[in-house]
Amino acid sequence: MIYLDYGATSFHKPQSVRRAVQEAMLRCANPGRGGYDAAIEATRTVYRCRETAAELFSCQPEQVVFTANCTHGLNIAIRTLVKPGKAVVISGFEHNAVTRPLHGLKADVRVAGRKLFDPADTLEEFEKHLRTGASAAVFTHVSNVFGYILPVEEMAALCRQYGVPFIVDAAQSAGALPVGLSELGADFIAMPGHKGLLGPQGTGILLCGREPEPLMFGGTGSESIRQEMPDFLPDRLEPGTQNVPGIAGLHAGLQFLKRTGIANIGRREQQAARRCAGLLERLGLQVFAGPHQAGTVSFLCRKDCEEAAQILARQGIALRAGLHCAPLAHESAGTLETGTVRVSFGYDASDSQTEALGRAIRRSGLA
Amino acid sequence: MKYCILTFRSVTFAQRGESALRKAGIDCSLIRTPKNLSSRGCGYSLRLKERDANEAVERLHGDGIAFGKLYTVHPDGTAQEWQT
Repeated sequence: MIYLDYGATSFHKPQSVRRAVQEAMLRCANPGRGGYDAAIEATRTVYRCRETAAELFSCQPEQVVFTANCTHGLNIAIRTLVKPGKAVVISGFEHNAVTRPLHGLKADVRVAGRKLFDPADTLEEFEKHLRTGASAAVFTHVSNVFGYILPVEEMAALCRQYGVPFIVDAAQSAGALPVGLSELGADFIAMPGHKGLLGPQGTGILLCGREPEPLMFGGTGSESIRQEMPDFLPDRLEPGTQNVPGIAGLHAGLQFLKRTGIANIGRREQQAARRCAGLLERLGLQVFAGPHQAGTVSFLCRKDCEEAAQILARQGIALRAGLHCAPLAHESAGTLETGTVRVSFGYDASDSQTEALGRAIRRSGLA
Repeated sequence: MKYCILTFRSVTFAQRGESALRKAGIDCSLIRTPKNLSSRGCGYSLRLKERDANEAVERLHGDGIAFGKLYTVHPDGTAQEWQT
């Protein structure tokens, strides 16, 4: 199988990740609860991952909170910053993981910047909305549909300038682009553990730049006498037993990134996406490509996008079609009616993957 | 034999402390906080030699790692709090 759905999850994990998961299942009991060897080993396993994540994303270990996925982290962050009815600025490329919690809160959502691959438009519109007054801002680093890299550093600077707290959704950028809590000065940055960070499914990280409101309540193994949740991180957000095998695998994924270099992986993915876009254009398909593009490319062909993905799946090409849980992004790009076929590269991106995709498209008459 | 216990509010801070002390060459181990030293119930501490206690406190202060209290535990099990 040629796997080109890294935007959904990193399916081919490094061997070290698989090994770490298995080791944790053999050696780890409940973390942060007991004092016997297997409990201490679990506690250390969780902390090692926290420490490595803190190093990679420039914060302190206690600011690294483990979540079940990126959506979980976004929900905590949004529930902390956004109050019902208040104005919130978002980009035109947000995922349902952002828009649904805001809808659920009945927030006054203001969409800023609809033009693909146009950071100047994004910034101009974003500032316009900040100027008119907003209680918070939420924006993605990279569009999960089109790979558009939003100018997050400048957006963060604008938020700081206007005193608007903000959340960055790093679902598609963590592990491929620089992401730093202290550099951005963000209130929260949410990311999945199982995509670019190469951990197992069921893992995620929320970086906390401010005190959050808990979404779940329960035992933390600390200050058990009190009925209020602890007022310190990470305990405030981590009640219940942690996903230790998942976190062990995530740690192995982070170590792989450190060894390989996030910049190297990002470059490789972007280069693959550029070459893929070029090939698809030469095949006469409608391709969504431009500057400021990460390792993701969307395209349209002669057939319905879901049908095209099915045809390609039968030829061993794994990619995703439809709305990708991001109707807002499709509305911005004018593809809400059609959806798109999405190719998303990962750390193992190569020309041979693109060539295989090209051959399959030609063979199946999609071009 | 006497030893010292440094208490922490969370296991994460206890491990940050452990990491900082080990980097400074101070031997310590992560343990559950004895119940009689844990006024809020449940937690983790670092156990270390009494002769290292002053240096450990200085190091933690220097690294901005918050800890709770420092005790000397005597061979008969009684604990005496330090004024840090």
